[in-house]
Amino acid sequence: MRRIAWTLGALGLVAVPWIVAGVAPGQRRYILHILVLTALWGALALSYDLVVGHVGSLSLAHPAFFGIGAYAAALLATEARWPFAAGLAAAVGLAGLAALAVGVPLFRLTEHSFAMGSLGFAMVTSIVATNWVDFTHGPLCITGIPKPALGPLRIVTLPQFWWLALAAVVLVALLYHGLTTFRLGRAFHAVRDNEGLAAAAGVNALKYRMLAFVIGAALAGGIGALWVGYINVLCPSELAVSVTVNLLVIVFLGGVGSLRGVVAGAVLFTALPEILRVAPTWRLVIYGSLLLVIVVKRPEGLETALRALGRRGARAA
Amino acid sequence: MALFEVHGLVKRFFGVTAVDGVDLALERGELVSLIGPNGSGKTTLFNCVTGYLPVDGGRVVYRGEDVTGAPPHRVARLGVGRTFQIVSVFPRLTALENLLVFLQQHQEESFPGRLFRTGRVRRFEREALDRAAALLDLVGLASHAATRAGHLSYGQRKLLAFAAALMPDPELILLDEPAAAVNPTMINQMKDRIRALHRAGKTVLLVEHNMDVVMDISERIVVLDHGQKIAEGPPDAIRRDPRVIEAYFGT
Repeated sequence: MRRIAWTLGALGLVAVPWIVAGVAPGQRRYILHILVLTALWGALALSYDLVVGHVGSLSLAHPAFFGIGAYAAALLATEARWPFAAGLAAAVGLAGLAALAVGVPLFRLTEHSFAMGSLGFAMVTSIVATNWVDFTHGPLCITGIPKPALGPLRIVTLPQFWWLALAAVVLVALLYHGLTTFRLGRAFHAVRDNEGLAAAAGVNALKYRMLAFVIGAALAGGIGALWVGYINVLCPSELAVSVTVNLLVIVFLGGVGSLRGVVAGAVLFTALPEILRVAPTWRLVIYGSLLLVIVVKRPEGLETALRALGRRGARAA
Repeated sequence: MALFEVHGLVKRFFGVTAVDGVDLALERGELVSLIGPNGSGKTTLFNCVTGYLPVDGGRVVYRGEDVTGAPPHRVARLGVGRTFQIVSVFPRLTALENLLVFLQQHQEESFPGRLFRTGRVRRFEREALDRAAALLDLVGLASHAATRAGHLSYGQRKLLAFAAALMPDPELILLDEPAAAVNPTMINQMKDRIRALHRAGKTVLLVEHNMDVVMDISERIVVLDHGQKIAEGPPDAIRRDPRVIEAYFGT
């Protein structure tokens, strides 16, 4: 029964372009665009949750790693004419290396100081992207970033981008699942729940924090490369603090530390602002009020609501 | 050579000298208690010798190896187990997972080994599960294996923390007030368990305020007052020692 549901779900996701074309032919391009963004946000939020939800370090530096990957891929593609796959690999590697370099001093700080330190790094990265005009083009943005091509396979159309984004989010989700369950996940959670006791268990907290931080950053860098491959323009505003706010909303209101919760958060909080466009004047008011309602009613995130729904479903069946 | 030696340990907090030149030696298989009035430096000493606090002077030697200033996870991996005065568990892990965490860092496994789940890795997993089941049984928590530790009662968490410290089969076990804030029945059970550890050949260092427990099970007692060692000897001698009586009751 479960297997059938999973298979149908997977087929449904792959068939999304045709479903959308059938249901809303007039809005096809717009809906697919939102879905591609949702998948990319989902992947980014999952990479962020590895750090926030599983080793419990409230990093605010995630957009910086996303940005480092995005700029690396954009500049390598436009200036050095690197193929997409090489640019993607460079984005992953550079973002991971940057995390390794800033992680060493940052993890000397704990809790709030760590959050502030990481926010400082994010702001510096954003300022460099805006002001180092010779290198990043600053506010003029990098334009004409080529569409990705994997060997002979060129990704140009919206359905193709959907499949690429879907593959990315599935890959990140599998990695997320593998890293956060079993033995490694137990060590992560031990560090998150009680660092002092983790040390008594022989767990080196710094090592596991660093591991989650670097893997999360490398994934964010890769998603940055996909992002510029899709949007084809990169401006410094993509690294702004507002990205952190979005990630925090998705992860904390979705369900911190939960794959299902974070994915639900990404779907709801990417789609919601778009759906609310039917009421342009009241859009942000409604959005803000909804956030408040969720914070009050479900402080642990949508995950708890999903779980309750699942239980009710099981009882009904 | 003693299993565990502390030479002239000093720890200062700003102006206060919490531990002031304490010497301590534990022979293999000994059961020693550390007592003293509140604020005499017992827990500070524990935290210094297990790497939780940096020391300001002196040396800590375990199995002939200098471990002064070593980080706590390294001390743990050398085979020193400890519990905490304030009951410590991983609240969001299940009782079973709480125990598994305590063994896994002692099992050396390689990344490819984990990826392909080699025979060695499978044997590790089986060993860990068997040992965890046996320990949960020992402390009477077998039926709570799948319960999140945060949902257990205070007493149950205390038992779980005790079982977790035993998970890697440490040679030296430091227990910080195992009988504090538990009911009399459990105090007796705890006493029996500590005795059982001693009989199994483990070396135990106990910090405890409950004098019945201390006098009943210790082979040797070390008394601290104002960070200094004021007496050391078998329970009967300590009970009669005028310095100890003065430290506890004043004059």
